Amino acid sequence: MIDWLFSPLIDFGFMRRALVAGLALSLVAPPLGVFLTLRGMSLVGDAMAHAVLPGVAVGFLLAGFSLPAMSFGGLIAGLLVAGLAGSVSRLTGHREDSAIASFYLISLAAGVMLISMRGSSVDLTHVLFGSILAVDSTALWLIVSVSSLTLIVLAAIFRILVVECLDPLFLRGQGIRGGAVHGLFLGLMVLNLTAGFQTLGTLMAVGLMMLPATAARFWSKRLEGLMGLAIAIGMISSVGGLLLSYHAGLPSGPCIILLAGVIYLFSALFGRYHSVFARWRRRVQPMLPPDAHG
Amino acid sequence: MGQWRTEAQDEPNTLLTLESLSLAQGNRMVLEGIDGHFEAGTITALVGANGAGKSTLVQGIMGELRPVNGRVHCRVPNARRAWLPQQLALDLTFPMSVEELVMSGCWPTHGSFKRYGPTEYRRGQAVMQRLGLQAFEHRPLGELSGGQRQRALLGRTLMQEAQLLLLDEPFANVDAATVEVLIEVLQDMAAKGAAIIIVLHDHDQMTRLADRILHLERGHGTWSTPARVGDASSTAETLA
Repeated sequence: MIDWLFSPLIDFGFMRRALVAGLALSLVAPPLGVFLTLRGMSLVGDAMAHAVLPGVAVGFLLAGFSLPAMSFGGLIAGLLVAGLAGSVSRLTGHREDSAIASFYLISLAAGVMLISMRGSSVDLTHVLFGSILAVDSTALWLIVSVSSLTLIVLAAIFRILVVECLDPLFLRGQGIRGGAVHGLFLGLMVLNLTAGFQTLGTLMAVGLMMLPATAARFWSKRLEGLMGLAIAIGMISSVGGLLLSYHAGLPSGPCIILLAGVIYLFSALFGRYHSVFARWRRRVQPMLPPDAHG
Repeated sequence: MGQWRTEAQDEPNTLLTLESLSLAQGNRMVLEGIDGHFEAGTITALVGANGAGKSTLVQGIMGELRPVNGRVHCRVPNARRAWLPQQLALDLTFPMSVEELVMSGCWPTHGSFKRYGPTEYRRGQAVMQRLGLQAFEHRPLGELSGGQRQRALLGRTLMQEAQLLLLDEPFANVDAATVEVLIEVLQDMAAKGAAIIIVLHDHDQMTRLADRILHLERGHGTWSTPARVGDASSTAETLA
């Protein structure tokens, strides 16, 4: 049974590449998602995932299905939207999330328009939803390199990110501007979304970032616990989703994200903290009448 | 044009100097011509009505606001400068325990990679004991009372071994027992050479704690001592 279940990961090269790509993304995307949830920016990840689309489209128009060209385009577009949204926020005084929401909608429309002008609906589907089973060596190198770089940068700014999330004034008291840390963090996020679009598509790459992070919050109140659990959930979703995809003949990207979604729903219902079950168990019991105390 | 500098001063005991400092919020001038020396070992109360410019002055001292005119000279390095904000500035949903918050006071000196060793952890335990926090050391910040949280924040400052400490209404929404502990710890820090600037509203606390008072009114500052404040009807009105 176990042999039958896991043999595709051993027997087929495309499954092995998909597995490594999924695990590499699962190692770094969920911790970024944890910080996004802690900073109250859960939907910003989603918005940025849409924002990379026009850059991917321009890369596609110029070089066809060239992963480096599309990834580079996506990275530039994502950073541009993050920078523009930050600038508009500073210049107008509006909240940054509303500026990001506005720019991502413009980006999404521009990206779909660009791809429709030159490509077919199949091309559009590929860009929007990815194809992890089609990950080749170039894509794998790109994903693993981005994951390694993210891991190193995240380790370097980890303490600063923690301090900035909890108490930005303490950080500023040390002469460090929160804006620089914020910009670097957004840059990492865009980089990972760009790396993830080949495997999961621009629309679902953020799923591997956010769903493990939000699910982990139902199981731990410690930052280390949240990070570890989110990574574990991401990896379980990647491996489980790939196997489900292979054995059931279903598309791999949606299988991975749906599995992460199932884990999130289970956590929301039965998790240790703040879940429906945990809240039901902690309901305030009515006080006993005085004579019942004996 | 105003300046904010960290160079050494002529008077060795002075940690912070304000020279004809003028600060604005946007296009609106808030403070003009503020002068003052803040020596090691002194506690200065910053008082004034709402909107008098207390927070603006603190922002100016912390380097958040560039002076329109005048200068801020600070001899204390960033790592030894601490700012205790009002409790509302903290994200209480952040998954951090009391011990982790206290230990984060080591971050300015340890940076991103240097591990906190046994010496730091022992010091952290001593700080928590001093502040009566040992029973709560593993408790998440969100589950603390206002007083416990304020003790934990001061614990972080102690771990930082702050030489310049700015506190914004640290006794607001805090129980009487905690106020006593905080006052003792602040006096102890001043005795060890820190310069403390504290935004206060309570006259009794001011009398007990402060060596000097900087009273802000209509954009200008007036220096006095706690004894004189009790006699000054205008200041008493403001404080009431």
